[in-house]
Amino acid sequence: MKFLKKFRKKAPWILHYNAGSCNGCDIEILASLSPKFDLERFGVINTGNPKQSDIFLVTGPVTYRSRERLIELYTQIPEPKVVIAVGSCTATGGVFRGMYNVEDGIDQYIPVDVYVPGCASSPQLIIDGVVKALEILENKSKEIEKPFKLFGEIKQVGKLTSRRDMAKKIKEAEDEDKS
Amino acid sequence: MTLLAPILGGLIYGVERVLRARMQRRQGPPLLQPFYDMFKLMEKRTLIIHAMHVLLGVLHFLILWLTVGAIFFGWNLLYVIFLHLFALIVLVMAGYSVRSVYSHLGANRELLAMVAYEPVLILVAVGFFLQSGSFEISKIMQGEGYLMQMPLLFMALLMIIPIKVKKSPFDVVEAHQEIVGGVEVEYSGLFYEFIYMARFLEYIFIYSFVFLFGGSSVWLGLVLVVAAFFLVNLVDNATARVRTADMIKIVYVGAITLCVINLLWIVL
Repeated sequence: MKFLKKFRKKAPWILHYNAGSCNGCDIEILASLSPKFDLERFGVINTGNPKQSDIFLVTGPVTYRSRERLIELYTQIPEPKVVIAVGSCTATGGVFRGMYNVEDGIDQYIPVDVYVPGCASSPQLIIDGVVKALEILENKSKEIEKPFKLFGEIKQVGKLTSRRDMAKKIKEAEDEDKS
Repeated sequence: MTLLAPILGGLIYGVERVLRARMQRRQGPPLLQPFYDMFKLMEKRTLIIHAMHVLLGVLHFLILWLTVGAIFFGWNLLYVIFLHLFALIVLVMAGYSVRSVYSHLGANRELLAMVAYEPVLILVAVGFFLQSGSFEISKIMQGEGYLMQMPLLFMALLMIIPIKVKKSPFDVVEAHQEIVGGVEVEYSGLFYEFIYMARFLEYIFIYSFVFLFGGSSVWLGLVLVVAAFFLVNLVDNATARVRTADMIKIVYVGAITLCVINLLWIVL
C-alpha cells in the first residue's frame, strides 16, 4: 500500500532499552523527549511497549545479563522497524570494549540501522539520528528481520506465522553448541 | 454524525495534544497526528495472541461506537451509561484473557476505576431526571437551567472526567511508565488501532455529558465543553498520578458527597 507507506515516518513510536549503559545516554534520550528539545513534534511517542513501537533506541554495550532481553524485545517489535544505537558503547563497546562481561556493541546481536556517536551523545545528535532513521523506516520492507545470535525459529501454524520461539534463551543456545 | 464520531473524537484528541504542548511551551505534534498514527498502525505487521483477545478488543470499540450513536440519537441516558459499562466489561475480559501480568493489572485497575466513576455518572443522570422529568436525552436537551440547579453535580462530573479520558491525577488505569498501558499492552498493529480509536470515542462520551448541562442552548453547552476541556488539560499538566485506592477515596469522598448534597437540594 503506497498511500499508507507515507505515514510511517509521520508517527514513529519509540521503545527505549538500556543494555547495560552508564545511564548517561538514557538521560539524554529523555531530555530529547522532554519539552525543551520536543521530539514529539515529529509525532514521536515514547511507548515503552515493544508491540506498538517502530524505533528501537538502544544504549549501552550489551552485557551478558541484558542480551536475552535485547533479543526478546527486538523480536517482539513488529516490522517495519529500525534500530538506533545511541552512544559510543552501543556502537563499538566504547570505554567498556574488551571487558570480560561485555559484548562490544549491539551489532553483534541485531542489525543496526543508525549509529549515533558520542559519550554521552547530545540530544541534538539523537534527534538527528531519529530523523535519519525515519528515512530508512520509510523504505524498509515488511520482511521478518532476524537477530544474528540467539535466533530460534519461525514456524508456520496453519496460515499464521508463529514468532513465539524466535528469541532463544542463552541456556538453550549453549546446550545446542555443546551437542 | 454517528458515523463520523471516531473522526470527531480524533480531532479532539489532536487538539488536546497541541494544547498540552502549548501549555508546556513547545511546538507539539501536528493537529492531524492521531490520524497519522492510525494509518501507520494499519500498515504495520500485526501480532495476535489469540483470536478471542483481538475479537473482544474490536467488540469494545463497536459497543462504544453504539453508545456514542445512542447519545446522538437521543436515547435513554441510563441505557447509554449501561451500554458504556458493557463496553468496558468487554475490555476487562480481553485484559484477563491473556497471560501478561501488565494486562491483568490494567484490567484490575479498569474495574476499580469503574467502581469509582460509575455511581457519579448515574447520580448525574438522576439529577437530569429530577430536573427534566425524563431520562430521554432528547427530552433533557429541551430543558433549561441545569447549571443553575445542579452546580455541584457539574463539579462532580468534572472530577471524574480525568478518569475517563485517562489524564493525571487519575491516569492510574493506563499509567504508561508503570504498567505500559494496562489492558492495551498485548495489542499491536491493526487491532491496537481499534483500542486507540475507542479512546477517541470515550472523549465524545464523557464530554457529551458536559454538553448536556447546556440544555436547549447549544452555545452554552459548547462553552461548557471547551471550558471543561481546558481545565482538565491544565490539571493534567500540573498534577502527578495518585494511587488507585486514593483515587477511589477522593472520588467517593469528594464527588459523591457533592452529588448527594445537590440531589437533596433539588428534592427538598
